[in-house]
Amino acid sequence: MRRKLIAAIGVAAMMGVAACGSDGGEDAQSGDGDKTLTVWVMDGSAPEEWVTELNKEFEAAHEGVTVEIQTQQWNGIQEKVTTALSEDAPPDVLELGNTQTAGYAVTGGLADLTDMKDELGYDTWNEGMLPSAELDGQLYAAPWWAANRVVIYDKSIFADAGVEPPTTREEWVEGLQKIEDETDAQPIYLPGQSWYVYSGFLWDEGGDLAVEDGDQWKGALATPEGAAAMNFYEELQSFSTAPKDTDEATPQQSTDIVPKGDVASWIGLGWEANGAIAAIEEAGGEADFGYFPVPGKTAEQPGHVFFGGSNLAVPERSQNKELAQEWLKLATSEEWMKKYAEATGGAALPNSQAAQITPEPGSFAEAMVQSADVGRLTPITPGWANVETDPNPVKQYMTNVLNGTDPKKAGDDADEAITERINQG
Amino acid sequence: MTVQTTEGATPVTKEPPPSGPDSRPPGEAAPRGRRSLPSGWLPYLLIAPAVLALTVFLGYPLVRNVLVSFQQLGRMEMISRATVWTGFDNYVELLRDDAFWAVVVRTFVFMAVNVALIMLGGTLIGLLLNRLGKAMRLVLSLALVMAWAMPIVASATVFRWLFDTQFGVVNWVMRSLGFAGYEQHNWFQTGFSTLAIVTLLIVWASVPFVALNMYAGLTTISGELYEAARMDGATNYRIFRSVVFPLLKPFFLITTFLEIIWVFKAFAQIYALNQGGPNRESETLPVFAYVEGMSQMQFGVAAAASVLTILILIVAMSFYFRLILKQEDEQ
Repeated sequence: MRRKLIAAIGVAAMMGVAACGSDGGEDAQSGDGDKTLTVWVMDGSAPEEWVTELNKEFEAAHEGVTVEIQTQQWNGIQEKVTTALSEDAPPDVLELGNTQTAGYAVTGGLADLTDMKDELGYDTWNEGMLPSAELDGQLYAAPWWAANRVVIYDKSIFADAGVEPPTTREEWVEGLQKIEDETDAQPIYLPGQSWYVYSGFLWDEGGDLAVEDGDQWKGALATPEGAAAMNFYEELQSFSTAPKDTDEATPQQSTDIVPKGDVASWIGLGWEANGAIAAIEEAGGEADFGYFPVPGKTAEQPGHVFFGGSNLAVPERSQNKELAQEWLKLATSEEWMKKYAEATGGAALPNSQAAQITPEPGSFAEAMVQSADVGRLTPITPGWANVETDPNPVKQYMTNVLNGTDPKKAGDDADEAITERINQG
Repeated sequence: MTVQTTEGATPVTKEPPPSGPDSRPPGEAAPRGRRSLPSGWLPYLLIAPAVLALTVFLGYPLVRNVLVSFQQLGRMEMISRATVWTGFDNYVELLRDDAFWAVVVRTFVFMAVNVALIMLGGTLIGLLLNRLGKAMRLVLSLALVMAWAMPIVASATVFRWLFDTQFGVVNWVMRSLGFAGYEQHNWFQTGFSTLAIVTLLIVWASVPFVALNMYAGLTTISGELYEAARMDGATNYRIFRSVVFPLLKPFFLITTFLEIIWVFKAFAQIYALNQGGPNRESETLPVFAYVEGMSQMQFGVAAAASVLTILILIVAMSFYFRLILKQEDEQ
């Protein structure tokens, strides 16, 4: 008996090795006359008052329909969206990051919106945002908003050190040096894996994260451009005490680092600046932020920046597809995009020039708009979404170089992973 | 076999039974004993819930896992609900991948080091428990039980913060003790240092199980045996080797066996501390399968990796199974 027991324990314990669970139950739609339209928005994307007003108008126009907004976190969103799109009852409208939209469009999980082009105002859309919403000439999403990073600085620390906002890289580094010499503050908070910042430097050098090679793509970090960009990143990073092996979200720079004080500057998005201001005020302080575009190599042109943003899409399997398309149309209409721009204080660029508001002087938006013209996207190919999944080879490359690995060697390793992933279906 | 059936049936027989002093006839007593157990459907009914639970929660996922390992299953296939059979492609890909073999070797080295430390530490603390006075024994037992009862993710999170680069207590302690170079020291900079911290965490959490069981085992050894050994002039080490170890051999075998399996499948500790990083250098087989599957959405490859994991473990453990079975036979 004991022998059998031991054997049984052994087998059970070993089977435990293989047991891995997966869950993905989505709330089923209620079947009766009243319909619920489920909308997934990302954390920080939809200002509360804007979305409430929008839904009020939508619900008034469609009797018996309730719109339910569910806020999602960026962390781990790809797994979640993939699971959701494979379900019978996915959310009805989805916000998708612009680097990830093509990856979902290619699976057939998103409804084709090509027939709605005119209704949606296709011709008025910002040309920089459009490529991420299309695949092979078909439209799978409507651009919603876009934003790029700027340098956010503490005016009083800059004044103490006698530093003016720079317009070239040289001035930028000189200023940081001066802050280091003359104040106790950390001149810039820049963790080692802020890879969108690195991408900007890479574009400044004329390089890119991946390039087309016949009908395939291949990683392009092990290039002179890649090394030069990393060299400048390293120079900036040497002014920071931030860890070399995390990105700007762990710990969240805007709410966990900056409000603690003594950070002279950091690179962030509009919602991050707002989050930091709110956190500082909550703690009883007062934020005194100024903003300037990431400086370029010359004063003529600011540095390239990643043109991050989001599109709105309707899952192919949505139970309320027509309603969902109606909601999407309303949300991305000029009227509501204008209200959106106002609600975000210009911190997010709306999808068309017509909806844009003139930013206030000295605001985040004012600095952001200056570099919007040199905003760039990650490679537009369905496989790019695979590259961004954890562990992200670009992030690993950065940490390795910062820790002393030869950029060429680190780049070769990263390129191998990028090439493998980007060409996966 | 003896023909003698029942005792006392022929009282006149003066001959002693040919089978010797043991008068119990082996051919007959066993079936008679079983007759008192319930028969028919009842045993099956009683075992049914366990079988059902195992089938549903382990059997079914296991079968699905094997099926998935022969498919290409990623974002594309999941959303379009296509089933793409690829035969042994996933296996071939893995077996040709140097990275996979590096993970296999790492897993075994990691396991061996952990199990050795756990068994050593557990045995020593078990012996200590046996010698301590009542009050101290209670205190130590409580401390052990608390470490054992700590949820894995909670303890991993605590360890992550203890060794944090910017705010970690360990860096602060090292600085306070006067060691240089612990300003912003990154304890998770290499796969080796990450696994070293994981080892500390796993050993800390696993020693109580071994120690308490060891103590329980020691209480069954009668004091006379120690006395006798001492009379013969045995040293403490000799007593352990010649008295304690042989008597507790089954305990050592089964505990080592369990620890091997537990360390082999340790996932939460490694993943929670550094997600298998940096550069995937602290991935063991379960973490490798998870990263391939859940993070990169290559479920076919991940399933193949987990099937290979089971096969490797079965091969490695078959040796151990035999040892245990032999041990049972000897008793």
